[in-house]
Amino acid sequence: MKKLIISIIILYFLTLFQTSFLVHFSLFGMIPNFVLVFVVLWNIFEKGDSVIGIYNAVIGGFFLDIFSDRFIGFNILILVLLAFILKLISNRYVRIPFKKI
Amino acid sequence: MRPSRNKSKVLIVILAIILAGFLFNFFQKGVRSFFYSFSAPIQRVFWEAGDSTADFLSSIFKSGELKDEVDRLEAEKNDLISQVVGFQELSQENETLREALGIGLKNEFKLSFTQIIGKDISQDFILIDKGIKDGLSEDMPVITEEKVLVGKISEVYYKFSKVMLISNKESSFDAKEINSLAGGVIKGIGSSKLLFDLIPKGETINNSDLIVSDCISGIFPEGLFIGAVINVSKSDVGSFQQAEIEPAFNLSKTKNLFIITEF
Repeated sequence: MKKLIISIIILYFLTLFQTSFLVHFSLFGMIPNFVLVFVVLWNIFEKGDSVIGIYNAVIGGFFLDIFSDRFIGFNILILVLLAFILKLISNRYVRIPFKKI
Repeated sequence: MRPSRNKSKVLIVILAIILAGFLFNFFQKGVRSFFYSFSAPIQRVFWEAGDSTADFLSSIFKSGELKDEVDRLEAEKNDLISQVVGFQELSQENETLREALGIGLKNEFKLSFTQIIGKDISQDFILIDKGIKDGLSEDMPVITEEKVLVGKISEVYYKFSKVMLISNKESSFDAKEINSLAGGVIKGIGSSKLLFDLIPKGETINNSDLIVSDCISGIFPEGLFIGAVINVSKSDVGSFQQAEIEPAFNLSKTKNLFIITEF
């Protein structure tokens, strides 16, 4: 629960940082998506039986949807799908030698 | 944790997402408004920090080009001063003629001041800090202090509004070339780019020609500056020509905007 609350706060600030700070540094109309990076990294390094990575994908996607013009659910679907695929691959085919989250 | 328990947990998450998705989209205005209301102060801090950092970094990276830029601007300034003198004479003449004919000067627009607090580059929209509370409503035009057209309000919340930039793919409105008055339609093509379309083939459009808004469809008031032509493309087959437009607004350098509440 503690991990989830911390990651909600991080995701919230990453979204605000992305939509209000990083927009000043766009290259060819693109800016880095730190929420996506956070969700990807979390799901890669998370323990196999934990589902916080999926919750993070839902929350990260929700914050991105709130601060974008798309319907609420667009980024949630993308991130959740990505999190599932990452978990599937990292649980079945990849072994990370150091301690996971 | 057992795999079967994990699976049911995942299933619950999926169902919860679908249900929440429906609910949030049904009450999307309220949900967004709630988040914008307490995020605005943080967004404002981030926006100002990003603005000053970007200015600082660009002054470092472009220091070599600055001298050339200063020389070019100096020459441009002298040229403009001579033009202003000419315009002042014309203005006085115009004023005298209006007085003689009994025509009052056209009222300026009714404006409301606002600040940008967020931006979505991929979607070409911005978030501003005024809403229903300040008397705003949908479709109101948004301009810079130099009367450069930025976009129009697409969604309005209690304290905030979303502005659809003219470069948004869903934006299209009438415009004309400032000298030849060649008319056409400005279409947003995304990523802060504009296309001046449906210009009759008989009209002459050249690079650097200036484009302003037209009021035929009543979307925007007449004469708001949009940008300059950068590339004209003529086809032998069609009866229209197109031109790429460099938008005059630069949101990375703009913080303050004005909403035209009446025109």
